[in-house]
Amino acid sequence: MAAKVVTVNRDTKPGIAPIFTGMKITFMNLVRTLFGGQAATVQFPEQKRSVSTRYRGVHVLTVRADDTPKCVACYMCATACPAECIYIEAGERPEKTIEKYPTRFEIDLLRCVYCGFCVDACPEEAIIMSRENDLVGTTRAELIIDRDRLMARAKTVEHGAGYRPVDHDVRRPVRLAALERLKSEHGIVPGMPKG
Amino acid sequence: MASATLDAPRTGLDKPAARLLSQELGDQLLKVSDWRGDLSLTVARQAWVRAARLLRDHPELRYQLFLDLCGVDYLEQEGRDDRYEVVLHLYSVEHKHHVRLKAGLPESDPRLDTLTGLFKGASWFEREAWDLYGIVFTGHPRLTRILTHDAFVGHPMRKDYPTAQRHVLKEPKQWLLDVPKESEHLIVNIGPSHPSMHGAFRVQALMDGETIVQAEAEIGYMHRNFEKMAESRTYWQVIPYTDRLNYCSSFMNGHGWALAVEKLLGVPAPPRAEAVRVILSEFSRIMDHLVCISTNVVDLGAITPYFVVFRAREAVYELLEACCGARLTVSYVRIGGLAQDVPADFAERCRKAAALVAEVTRDAEDLLTRNIIFARRFKDVGVLSAEDALSYGWVGPCLRGSGVGYDVRKDHPYSGYEQYDFDVPVGTVGDCYDRYLVRIAEIWQSLRIVEQALAKLPDGPVIVDDKKVALPPKAEVYSNIEALMNHFKLVYDGIQPPPGEVYGYSEAANGELGYYIVSDGGKHPWRVKVRPPCYNIYQAYTQIITGGLIADAVAIIGGLNVVAGELDR
Amino acid sequence: MPKCTIDGQEIEVPAGTNALKAALDHGIHIQHFCWHPDLPVDGNCRTCMIEVEKMPKLQIACNTVITDGMVIHTKSPKAVAAQRTALEFLLVNHPIDCPVCDQAGECYLQDNYMRYGLHDSQVEIEEKVRKRKVVDLGPIMLDAERCVLCSRCLRFEREVTGTNSLEFVNRGNQTQIASFEGRPITHEYAGNLADVCPVGALLSHDFRFKMRVWFLKETASVCPGCSTGCNVYLDHRDAEAQRLGPRRNAEVNQSWMCDPGRALCHEIGKQTRVSGARLKQGGRWEGASLDAALEAVAGKLQAAGKQAAFVASPQATNEDLFAFRRLARHAGGLVDFRVGDPQDKLQQRLDDVLQRADRNPNTQGCLELGLGQSGVGAILEACLAGQVQVLVLQGPELLRLAGAESAVAKVPFVAVLASHEEPALDRAHAVLPAAVWAEVDGTFTNYQRRVQRLARAFPAPGEARPGWDLAAALLRRLGAPFPAASAREVFALLAGEEREFAGLDYKLVGATGRVLGTDAGAPAAAEARA
Repeated sequence: MAAKVVTVNRDTKPGIAPIFTGMKITFMNLVRTLFGGQAATVQFPEQKRSVSTRYRGVHVLTVRADDTPKCVACYMCATACPAECIYIEAGERPEKTIEKYPTRFEIDLLRCVYCGFCVDACPEEAIIMSRENDLVGTTRAELIIDRDRLMARAKTVEHGAGYRPVDHDVRRPVRLAALERLKSEHGIVPGMPKG
Repeated sequence: MASATLDAPRTGLDKPAARLLSQELGDQLLKVSDWRGDLSLTVARQAWVRAARLLRDHPELRYQLFLDLCGVDYLEQEGRDDRYEVVLHLYSVEHKHHVRLKAGLPESDPRLDTLTGLFKGASWFEREAWDLYGIVFTGHPRLTRILTHDAFVGHPMRKDYPTAQRHVLKEPKQWLLDVPKESEHLIVNIGPSHPSMHGAFRVQALMDGETIVQAEAEIGYMHRNFEKMAESRTYWQVIPYTDRLNYCSSFMNGHGWALAVEKLLGVPAPPRAEAVRVILSEFSRIMDHLVCISTNVVDLGAITPYFVVFRAREAVYELLEACCGARLTVSYVRIGGLAQDVPADFAERCRKAAALVAEVTRDAEDLLTRNIIFARRFKDVGVLSAEDALSYGWVGPCLRGSGVGYDVRKDHPYSGYEQYDFDVPVGTVGDCYDRYLVRIAEIWQSLRIVEQALAKLPDGPVIVDDKKVALPPKAEVYSNIEALMNHFKLVYDGIQPPPGEVYGYSEAANGELGYYIVSDGGKHPWRVKVRPPCYNIYQAYTQIITGGLIADAVAIIGGLNVVAGELDR
Repeated sequence: MPKCTIDGQEIEVPAGTNALKAALDHGIHIQHFCWHPDLPVDGNCRTCMIEVEKMPKLQIACNTVITDGMVIHTKSPKAVAAQRTALEFLLVNHPIDCPVCDQAGECYLQDNYMRYGLHDSQVEIEEKVRKRKVVDLGPIMLDAERCVLCSRCLRFEREVTGTNSLEFVNRGNQTQIASFEGRPITHEYAGNLADVCPVGALLSHDFRFKMRVWFLKETASVCPGCSTGCNVYLDHRDAEAQRLGPRRNAEVNQSWMCDPGRALCHEIGKQTRVSGARLKQGGRWEGASLDAALEAVAGKLQAAGKQAAFVASPQATNEDLFAFRRLARHAGGLVDFRVGDPQDKLQQRLDDVLQRADRNPNTQGCLELGLGQSGVGAILEACLAGQVQVLVLQGPELLRLAGAESAVAKVPFVAVLASHEEPALDRAHAVLPAAVWAEVDGTFTNYQRRVQRLARAFPAPGEARPGWDLAAALLRRLGAPFPAASAREVFALLAGEEREFAGLDYKLVGATGRVLGTDAGAPAAAEARA
């Protein structure tokens, strides 16, 4: 479209009258806020603002049915983290089906920038974020949150789960065709890996 | 050597800048390239000022808008004789064209003639290149540190600078101005911690009564060297850092970064992602303008508009939070698209927010535009001529306030801006009042764009289907090895663009936000330079306030919309 | 020498070279799994498909010998399609294991998928053939599901160690590798099995789950474990050594390295490092600054005059030895290096692969510098006779030596350069903190008289310094100049003084070393990690 440059009108004829208009606006706002229930503020902490289910709050480590961490210590989150706030040490699980798990998993919430890249990077849906945004600590050490606290949060999260993978993406055509073939020829409808 | 490269077939020689420079400089024009739409001219350093002058003054060129000047360190890069390079970006408003001028400097003698005689804006940029790279600009009137402090040792952006050191400044600089001992003028420090300075900046003013006789600014209080950090991050990991540039409209910084990297990759984002980016960018612009106007009048003592317009900002934050889970540090864009699709009720939320924006903007206009107190504080205060504005490198609403109708969205449309019908408002005088009126007018234009973009919001994916750029869908990652490997490689090896350099630019709230990226083909950018719009704008501040009243200095600063996160990087 | 054209590039190669090696040597990458530069060609993975003009079918590059005038296309549509199909086929039964697999980050499947594959999956997880996982073979962990059946490990066992501990069992898509009755691997070269394995089927037990490889930085160095001087990569993160692996050098160790050598990386960062100097005062140890300790040792040397003796260490680099020799000559005392008698073992092999009986990396360097004239016995005798007032030891070997205690006890002042704490250090009177091989630049001379470069991977702890630096500091305190501030400059001094080293510098020594007195070790092109 052709460039259209318009000059703003400077000649606004300022005067005293607009000051009264302004007062009217101010008064109307007062009325609306006080009596109309249209206040933009909330009485925190008694009242809390509701946030969307995509909210990127304090992290949660998800757990399996047997209360062990779903995390397999693949270090993807630590690699993707731009703040370098995730520390992991890996160990060996006795059962051969899963093999690896984190013996240490710490997130330094004082360094964390809540970008959610750890969630994007996780190939197991083991780390997700909650909607909690008012975590308080009295010492620095308290806010370096370890594996067990992160796992415990999976059960006690006050505000519910926030940012987590949701597959919005359209499935790729090749795979759709393969799925179709699998269903029609073999009667198999694949799901997520069990366990 | 020089003539050999001249004889070699070159791209870009057909461009007027290259042709004229070649005529003027002969074999001192060492290299011309035209890659990804960026015309890049390398000259011998002896010809640096001559080349810049020709680019600025020749009637066929008129590259008068000073955009950016920065250093690059090519330590131990193969195929280069010179370790350092100084890179200048200029823009011709008349011919609507960007140009890049470069000169190599040897490690043994990193010296270049100053451009401060040609462009007023060059001063701070040259100081920055000296500060961060140790490049000496001969003839610069005051080549001192600017982003780091006086107790800093070394030049931090050099590739061989050992990081993880601490340099502690024990004593701040007491005098920024040279005041003769017998002077009876009063020195006033405004900032670094002062309610009317929008962030931590410091201005030292020499007062004669209420009049400012001389002023000097000190910046860098919020310097964190984002550009150095970007050199050890993947292209993807830089996104959260961009949120912290102009944090009043953080989405647009990420948008600009994604555009720049997409330009480098040659991979455009899908239409739906672009449309969503436009909508959120326009909302961010509205938010930024509203914050700018309302905080500006708070400085003048009017707090009502602040409370009125912040309702709209809250609505935009809620919209952003519904899309990406964060209000301020959005990190919503990805290279090649967006992190995830917008929520189902996106259009409805947008319309609600737009209605509120319209309401509060009308209120703000009613409160301010014709208010005599406000008008008298703003009219003919802080005037900057169009010529000076270009020379300083002003962009965005401030440049348009001075009467130059340059808007990247209009002149170099990106993300589909060419599909939308909107006007570019400009002022005539270049004072605070013009800048205010332009911002208000732009809010209405942004609402027009949002409406149009919502009306034709296309369906489809929000991220490009390119396995070398975008992470595979999670359902695939969980269930097949190919996608899992793809996911792993992208997370630990990042996106690896081809070697080369691009200058990606977009119209942020404060004007042209540029990212100059040099890639060596690896997973980390070799160099990232942000061209922060308010860096140029704030540089003119001391000139504008000199000769005026100190109360006017307070009225002016808010309207320039200087944001420390972007200024100091 | 036949000439051929690969992807439009004219290439001349030695007769008998295969197309894959020719292409790789000239910077053209072709994906491969089973081919290895130091193992015989097997040609079973079928992924290195190329199109050769005038040949009706696609060929595998690894088994196509270049003939004169051959025109090869590695990126033609036919070749690309075949490469992709072969890769997809290898992945058909591959488990969804990257998160738990240590190979991720250096996996041929991952790398080649991003370069050549980029296809969508057509296989469901339930359809995959399940095999044995987490099989403990001693130093190696076996995961048969991840195996691509390239037989590199089998060929290694057959050709290099001659042990044949692994074999394919079963048939068709049930084929897998196994050791007989699941017995562990017992030879000392098991680590190489994990190295040759292009995927995560064979992994090092020692490195298991320790670290993700993409966090590691690698430094090219030389193993200090014996006089072979295998070329190695030292992988480290945040100044901590994580693992050692072989670096290819066709003249020394090919692509291999022994397990005792690999274990040496755990010695570097031990808690028991000597990080500061100390002096014995009135029978008790007192910590001292490095400067104070150097001052004390120099004072004693000054006082002792010619009644000083010096014992060099074959664990030290040539640079250390050179500076130490200069110190000894300046003081005018006795000097030697032989503790025990490793010189006789220098040419003696410990096995048929790499290890040698002399467990010191630089015995040859000591000999080259003429440090062995009188024999350490002479020094001990002088000590017993009370003729030695100061004994300076470049390493603690002599303190450990059984039978030398009485001689050492006779010396009023013993100074030792030590890197690790040990009880034997108690016999000394001054301990100076020394850096170990991973923390210094320098050179070793191996049994072939090959001078090879070590590179500094990370800084030494505390006040520890390279041996040459400590010797230089003592020299300066004794009033003798030592005009060098880096190992490179020390080497330049050494090259200026020693005829055999004349004309050499670090650049000429290069990545693969240089044999003294010949041109045989002329720097070959740096070999990529196989």
